[in-house]
This record gives sequence, structure tokens and C-alpha cells, in this order.
Amino acid sequence: MLDVLIHHLRLGAAGMATAALAVGLSGAAQAQTLVTWDDYTDVGQNAVIEQLNKAFVAAHPGVTINRTARTFDDLSMTLKLTVAAGNGPQVTKVNQGAADQGTMVKQKLLLPIDDYVKQYGWDKRFGEGVLARMQWSDSGQFGEGKYYGVSGLGEMVGLYYNQKVLSDAGIAAPPKTFEELLADADALKAKGVPAFAIGTAKQHIALHMLTGMEQAHIDASSRKALDDVIYGRGGTFKTQAALDAATLMQKWAKDGYFIDGYSGIAGNDAVQLFVSGQGAFLLDGTWYFGDMQTNPDIHFMAVPAPAGVSKPLTVGGIDLSWSITSNAKDKATQDLAAQYMDYMVSPEAANVWAAAGFFPSSTPTDESAVKSSLLKEGLAMWKTITDNNALGHYADWASPTMLKTYDDNMPHLLAGDMTPQAFVDALDADYQAYMKSIGK
Amino acid sequence: MSATTEQSLDRAAAAGPMRRAKLPEPTSVLDRMGKGNLLYVIPGLLIYAAFVFFPIVAAVAISLTEWNGLVVPSFVGLQNYIKLFSDHEFYVALRNNAEFIVFYCVFPLAIGVALAAIISTVGNRERMALRTLFFLPYIMPTAVLGIIFQWLYNPAFGPFNQILKAVGLGKIALPWLGDFTWVLPAVGAVAVWYFFGFCMVVFLSGMQRIDPSLFDAARVDGAKGLQSFWHVTLPQLMPEIRVVLLLTVIASIKSFDLIFTMTRGGPGNATLVPNIYMYELGFQLNRFGYAAAVAIIGAILVFVVNLAIHQGIRRFDRSSN
Repeated sequence: MLDVLIHHLRLGAAGMATAALAVGLSGAAQAQTLVTWDDYTDVGQNAVIEQLNKAFVAAHPGVTINRTARTFDDLSMTLKLTVAAGNGPQVTKVNQGAADQGTMVKQKLLLPIDDYVKQYGWDKRFGEGVLARMQWSDSGQFGEGKYYGVSGLGEMVGLYYNQKVLSDAGIAAPPKTFEELLADADALKAKGVPAFAIGTAKQHIALHMLTGMEQAHIDASSRKALDDVIYGRGGTFKTQAALDAATLMQKWAKDGYFIDGYSGIAGNDAVQLFVSGQGAFLLDGTWYFGDMQTNPDIHFMAVPAPAGVSKPLTVGGIDLSWSITSNAKDKATQDLAAQYMDYMVSPEAANVWAAAGFFPSSTPTDESAVKSSLLKEGLAMWKTITDNNALGHYADWASPTMLKTYDDNMPHLLAGDMTPQAFVDALDADYQAYMKSIGK
Repeated sequence: MSATTEQSLDRAAAAGPMRRAKLPEPTSVLDRMGKGNLLYVIPGLLIYAAFVFFPIVAAVAISLTEWNGLVVPSFVGLQNYIKLFSDHEFYVALRNNAEFIVFYCVFPLAIGVALAAIISTVGNRERMALRTLFFLPYIMPTAVLGIIFQWLYNPAFGPFNQILKAVGLGKIALPWLGDFTWVLPAVGAVAVWYFFGFCMVVFLSGMQRIDPSLFDAARVDGAKGLQSFWHVTLPQLMPEIRVVLLLTVIASIKSFDLIFTMTRGGPGNATLVPNIYMYELGFQLNRFGYAAAVAIIGAILVFVVNLAIHQGIRRFDRSSN
């Protein structure tokens, strides 16, 4: 009974919060329909976006939102073709990087939003390192030039650890350095405890684990080489950090540091196994907070850096960006789309996301909304990273085919039928072929 | 089998109802209308043209271009085909598809024939029950089967490995869909399970068509069970075998949903087949021209392999007559 009462009180509070948000929103709008596409198909995310849409509509009398939700893969597959055909959304989520956003910018299917960036002060709200992930020059250069989007959710790849599993194995505290992580993994292995929960059949835990360790070896002060590679200015995937990370992953896979049967287990299933107590560590992103917070023994931290690296990079970035498409033909529609985007990335929206346990890219103004301890750890980490300009990159953004190249070669690396050097060479071959194709 | 038996069989076959009667001349009202009938065919032809013929022609045209789906395609002639024949991944996909043909065609056919021969000897009620039971997998969508078997094979949660571990065979409780050696047979086994019931039902129907006097003649000549099967049942089932081969070969070459839901072509490219490769090229990498070339080669393969099967069975028919 008490549970029901609390539930109703919560619903009432959520309703009041929504109404308050609606009142707080400004800007008169004409009677028009805004067509939006997003990828919030997850039940929790869907509830938040529906709540935010209602608040936006309430603050803009006469405006109707015609929303379509698609999974990440479906969105990626259909968005470009639909907009190119003159149909689909006026404001949409779109994946950053060359494959989706870059292609759409090149074909003028997305509109530059520089005026709105200044008008709404998005450049001040988000660090330059964050906004650069949605910049494209007229010559197709990633990371510079005009702005084509803004994002409301942040993402980081870090180290989840289960304190109970560590304590049971005689390890009192989580590792502070990369060397301690290696020592902990060895100690766990010696006690017959799988050090890492990982599943490679689906999703990309292996990719995030490898690049998470690789970029933790790069100090923010010397990040230019990585930035150049990701932003398509040139460079190489054949680095010592990449080779070392690949060698380590292969060793761990071969010597039984991973949970049993990892190659036949999907990433999402590995997360469930980790939540249920299998494995001491799991390297992946903040998007698993919702699953992880059900086990209070699980905590989140940055991948520890080796000695000599004081401000290690953390793989991550931002959620898919909100962008205005070429379907927003007149100024009024573009202005309305920008108002919608501004609300979606506002501190008020961040409060709603944080209250639901998701990781906002701007700091929530209402600290009491942040109830999840994981989210608190994540937000503290995000602050440190943005202060240090240490937000790394998703390596698969480097070329349109890089994700497939990782996916095709990673199982061979882990199965031991491909050397770490050959693995790194395959990544670099993909990258150099892309560089050649864009005339660099 | 003795020469006498074979001669008896030939005589029985020649005298039996197997010989085709000459078809009567068309006499219906519509037939007498001659070319006027075309009028009635036009709606069907239009639908066929819009949804079959035009897409095929369009795919051929797209395969001669470089096209990302967004801009006007640029004509590149046969470049896509030339690239395709030096594309290592395409050959991997073809090799995997050839291996899948064994699981989609050969095993279901062999199991289907064997089961049909056994089941045809039992009583009507039992035959009906067994036929229904074995046919059941075939009524399920293969995409659903893929999802179910993906769970059954799961090393952590799946019952297959749980059972193996429970009976002390934990050492062979492998990550089936993540193991480079076993992933293709593991997916193939699902295809076998899906198709063998269908094959069996087709063969059972075929067996009911065989003239019983052929078996009587064989028995008189001293043929035992296996000899009757080998020299009477199997040759008489050739029309059904031809149909089953055609359908299962087509199914194997156009295989996509079962493999996609189970492995998406992985691990690495261990279960990559041309259709999944085509999907990746088109819808993930936006290389629609190259993807169309893969589709066209796949369609040509279906025709070539089926032509070979037709020719092979026709040659077999001639030699056995």
C-alpha cells in the first residue's frame, strides 16, 4: 500500500515537474507540425522523451510534434534515404562521424546551425571539444567548420567494477593505476575468478574495452595525433598503445581472464551476467547505467592510466546529435526546430534525464534529481574529463567502414588466429584507404 | 538385383500408369478467343512488371553504377563486377554458402528420404501423427527460429550447454555461435531441422504415387527391403527429389534471415553469405551499386546451380531409362 502511495506521489511530482518545465519554456510558435525522428526506443528513454515533448508542446501552443522512434540501426539505415527523397524528419537524431552525419552534410541534407549555436549559447553550455564532434567544413573536413548538431546526452567508456567480487578475492580497493588493474586481473585469475565480463557475439564491448585501454595511455596534452586521425586529417592506427592493447586483449582471451563462453555471448547478456555477479570488471559505456544500478556493489570509474599519464583520455563523446534537416524549408520551421533542440539540450531537460538515471551532457541544475550513485560517479568523472579536455574518441568514427573492420577482425584477434600486429595493420589499412578516397 | 528383376521393372514401368497421356487440344471459350485473352493477362503482367521485372532491371542498372543512395548514380560499367571477382570477402561468402548448401539441401534430403521410407511402412494414423510432428518446424518463420536457437545455443543461459554440463560433458559445452569451427555447423543444424520435415512430406507424397506393382515385381524377383528402396523407391522419387533440390538450393542461396538473426555473418566472417554481404554493403556502407552487383551474381548463381541440377537429373533419368 505504501509502495502504491509512493508511486502516486512520484507520478504527481513528475507531473508537476513537467508542468513547471512547460511554464518555464519560452517562445511563441505558430500553428505548425514539427516532424521529429529519434532513437529513444528503450522503454526508459522513450518515457523521458515523451515527457519532454509534452512539455515542449505545452509551452508552444499550436505546435504539434509528429514523432517517429527508430532503433539506432534502423535510423542509420533509413534516415539518409528518406531525407534525400524529401520526406521524413525536419529535426532528427543523427549519428556523428563520416558514415551518417558526414554523408548527410556532404549531400546538404543537414542545415548548418551556427546562428542558433550563438543565439542559444550552446558553445558556452558545452565545451568546444564536445561541439567539434558535430562540425564539418565545406570541404568535408570533420571537426572544423560549421556546426551541424548538438547533443543532450553524454557518453563515456569507463571501468565498471564489482566491489563485492573484488573483496571476496582479497582485493580491498579498485585499481588506481593501469599497472594495478593488470595485477588485480592476475590475482583474480589465480583465484579462479574471471577478471572481465565480456561478450563478443553482439554489441561492441570488445571494441570499447580495447580502445578504452588504448586511449587511457594517451595524455590529454598529447591528444593531437588522435584528434587528427579521428577528424580525418591523417595519421595512423599503428601506434604502440594500440598494439599493446591488442596484445593484452589477446593474452586475456587466451589465458581465461574472460567469463566462460564469452565469444558466444552478446554484450548485453554479458552485462546481465556482470550484474548478477560474474566477473570483477567490465569495460564499457555509461549507457549501461540503467542495468548496472540494480546491483549496489557495482561502481564506475575512468579506465586507470599507466604511470606517467596524469590526464588520460576517456573514450566517449555524446549521444547522437539533434540536427535540422533540409526538410525544414522555411525560416519559421528552422527556428521552431532550433527551439526544440535547445529545449532538448537544456539544463531542465538534463534534470529529467538525470532523474530517470540517464547521463545528460549538460550538468543538471537540480542535484536532488540525481539519485543513482552510478550517475553521481559518472557526473563527477564527466566534470573532470571536460575540465581536462580529456574526452577521447570512438575509434570507429575514423572512417565509414571502420566499425565493420573492427567487427570483422576482433573475433580473429581474440581467437588467436590473427597477430596483434596484423590486427593493427588491418585497422590502419582501412583508415589509409579512406584517407586516399578523400584525397589525403 | 538380378537382370530378370530389372527387366520386370522395365516392363511394369512401361505398362503402368506412369506413361503420360497426350493432352487434349484447348477447347474452352477463353482459349477460342485467342489473342483476346491477353486483355485478361494485362493486370497480372502489370503487377509482375512493377514488382518483379522492373526491380530486376533496376538492380542490373544500379550494379553498373557507383551510388550511395543519395546522389545521382555515376555509371562505372563493369567495374563493380571486376572488383567483386577480386574481393576476398565475396569468395569467403561464396565458400560459406557452398557449405550451407550441404545443410540446407543434402542433409534434409537424405534424412527426409530415410524417414519417409520408414514412416511409409507404419499404419495410417501413426503416419499422420509423425508426418505432422516432423513437419512442424517448417511452419515457423526462420527469423523466429534463429532467435530461439540463438538462445538455445547461448553458453551462459542456453539449455544445450546446461544439459551438457549436467551430464558431465562440460568440456564440449562450447560457445557454439562464437566458435570459428563450429558456428557454421551450428547454424546449419537449424536449417537441417527446419527443412527435413518438408522434404519428408514431399517424399511421402511421392511414395504414395508409386505403382505398388513395381514393389510386387521386385519382391517376386527376390528384392529385399533395402534393394527395393534403392532400385524402386529412389528412382521413382526422382521428380520429387528434383523439386526438393530446386527449392532447398534456392533457399540456401537466398539464405539471410536465419543466419542474420543468429550470427549476422560472424564471428569475423565465418557465416557470411552473399545476401548478408549485400545487406552490409548496401545498408551499412551505402555502396548500393556494389551491393546490387552481389545481388545479380547471387541470382545468376541460383539459375546456374538449378540448371546444373536439372541437367544432372535429366541425365540420370535418361541413363536409368
